[in-house]
Amino acid sequence: MHVEETQQKVNKAKKADKKQRRCLAIIKSDCEVSPSAEPTPYLAVLNVGLSNGLTEECLLTEAAATGGKVIQVVMLPGKSYCFFICASLEDSQLIYEGMHNISTIGQQGAVAYLSYIRQLPALAGKSEWNKPLPRGLHIIADFVTEEEESTLLRAIGEDGRTSEGTGSLKHRNVKHFGFEFLYGTNNVDPSKPLEQSIPSACDILWPRLNSFASTWDWSSPDQLTVNEYEPGHGIPPHVDTHSAFLDPILSLSLQSDVVMDFRRGDDQVQVRLPRRSLLIMSGEARYDWTHGIRPKHIDVVPSASGGLTTQARGKRTSLTFRRLRKGPCDCSYPALCDTQQTKVPQELHASLAAQAITLEQQNVHEVYDKIADHFSETRHTPWPQVSEFLDSFEPQSVVLDIGCGNGKYLSCNPLLLSVGCDRAQGLLAVGRRKGQNVFRCDCLVVPVRSSSIDGCISIAVIHHLATKERRLAALQEMARVLRPGGRALVYVWAKDQRKNDKKSTYLRQNKAVNKERTTEQQQRQKQHQELEQQLSNNNPLPVHTNRTEFQQQDVLVPWKTKDEQKTTYLRYYHVFEEQELENLVSQVHEVQLIKSYYDQGNHCAIFEKISKNSL
Amino acid sequence: MKLSTYNFLTSVAIKGVKVGFPLKLTINKKEVVESEFNPTFVERILPKLDWSAVYGAAQVAELTEDIPAVQPENIVENELLLQKLHHLLFEIDVLEGQLECPETGRVFPISDGIPNMLLNEDEV
Ligand SMILES: [Zn+2]
Repeated sequence: MHVEETQQKVNKAKKADKKQRRCLAIIKSDCEVSPSAEPTPYLAVLNVGLSNGLTEECLLTEAAATGGKVIQVVMLPGKSYCFFICASLEDSQLIYEGMHNISTIGQQGAVAYLSYIRQLPALAGKSEWNKPLPRGLHIIADFVTEEEESTLLRAIGEDGRTSEGTGSLKHRNVKHFGFEFLYGTNNVDPSKPLEQSIPSACDILWPRLNSFASTWDWSSPDQLTVNEYEPGHGIPPHVDTHSAFLDPILSLSLQSDVVMDFRRGDDQVQVRLPRRSLLIMSGEARYDWTHGIRPKHIDVVPSASGGLTTQARGKRTSLTFRRLRKGPCDCSYPALCDTQQTKVPQELHASLAAQAITLEQQNVHEVYDKIADHFSETRHTPWPQVSEFLDSFEPQSVVLDIGCGNGKYLSCNPLLLSVGCDRAQGLLAVGRRKGQNVFRCDCLVVPVRSSSIDGCISIAVIHHLATKERRLAALQEMARVLRPGGRALVYVWAKDQRKNDKKSTYLRQNKAVNKERTTEQQQRQKQHQELEQQLSNNNPLPVHTNRTEFQQQDVLVPWKTKDEQKTTYLRYYHVFEEQELENLVSQVHEVQLIKSYYDQGNHCAIFEKISKNSL
Repeated sequence: MKLSTYNFLTSVAIKGVKVGFPLKLTINKKEVVESEFNPTFVERILPKLDWSAVYGAAQVAELTEDIPAVQPENIVENELLLQKLHHLLFEIDVLEGQLECPETGRVFPISDGIPNMLLNEDEV
């Protein structure tokens, strides 16, 4: 028995050796790889790759299970093999021993064969590195000498304003000269120059740029941000705010090389920034591509022979030189342009007024009818401060929920007589099934006796109305049905989804951004491309990207259905600026504002109908 | 639709309508949903209701033997009446029927227990 088992093992190993050799021979006919009997940091997976439907994720999971650390997976399109670059020899050994002839990641659960190789084939580097640089991107190698490097480091080491180490900044040290770059708003305050301007040690740099500078907006910068990156630190992909800075933006790399990623939509280009080189981002590269650095200890870069190799990062200091714009941006790259994305043309107000009813019909009522059930599933937990308001009424008060949706607030306080109304039949039916009192109407024409109601709530409703007049009319209608002394609570979505630098739940649910896997800008650009394919282009309004900050007040917010079609519906919203709700309430007759507050990305107001006696 | 809800509904928003209340109720199908009787609840809700519409509802629901045409004064002590009001206002559920504007005759259908009070733009 024991002998048999041993024999089987030997047979299996022999079979694996044979397979390994055969696969290597096939790969060799394809590209130059030389196997190594001794462990190397490079591993080839010989019999499975992209052409077999293998994903990088699957590979990384398998490798992680062995305890070995992978720096990069190299997969080539259309090939049935792929490569690992491992963090160290030990990691490489762990992966080899844990996966070779063991891992069943092949087609139909076939076992994978691995081999150490001396170097990655030249082919592997091509797809990643042989792309042209983004237009307007230049790298000037050896822009400063080693001597100048030390002089510059000394000069910036002495002074400058240090950023508070919060948020994404916790990973690196940041200093500012000229003006402070505010990471919260990604902007500068031109009215607040810093005492310390750019150190004069930097003056040697500008004459060297004469040949370029003829086409630039500026010839010397007035703002410098210094970032110190330890190995493993990075910066999420971003574009420098268009309206904050002129074209171009310069970045001098000191102390260590690094690889920077440039992206535009699905396009991605990796760019090596050697120590003491100057990066120039101008035109398209400055305005239409995001740039970022992945938080890694080791970069994978092209080797001298054309393959790939690894390069450990050292401590790197970058000097980013910019010049303040002090006005709107006039670039021709609207996708990431804050000026062009936030501009509310005068005509928009006129067109909203003209189309209000059609817009609300198509982009509010019809959408809610279509998404009623799915929407209702996502709306089950009452907001605590709304419940609190409902609990503040005497027992047996009559409370009307205008725009009650699925009626989640109608059963919050069973001591009240709660009645709800909404336009969306599908949502009313959900509430009705739960035994609630509901009827169908429009929030502008509420079929309820005047002065008959003790309390009124309107939660996330009037931001669906397309003009100020209509929003005001909805509040006036609430005031009409309230009895004197009766109180109303209104919630509307806030344009600003942060308070005191804290993100609302809406933003916090954007996990990819919060974990710095991507940025809002990246997501906007991606959605922009997706929607262009999916929807007709004659949307009257800009389309908002979910779980990102609002760029403008009147927007269409996508709702993706959960079914297989994944249909995108666009809901119209007017998101409120600070004080806008209070101002609106102040224009309603017969009421006074009791309280207003910000709650989870909403502006909220409580008002009371003035009793006749106090008039 | 419970008859307590009915008590609040009006067609006053229709162009030219002066009062629009009480609406003319027709019940084609109803059911009785039993609920716990709480005399205090009924008693405290009453001042918020319009008695003419309470009585009107009782007429349509054929409960006029229980509900007087004029609101009695000492209703607090009349627990039997409170119980009957509880039944009328909170237990009778209109599933199918209609509400009609007393001035224009505009009909608002009630189906699956939900009155549709939506007006067209040109009606208001
Ligand atoms: Zn711009």
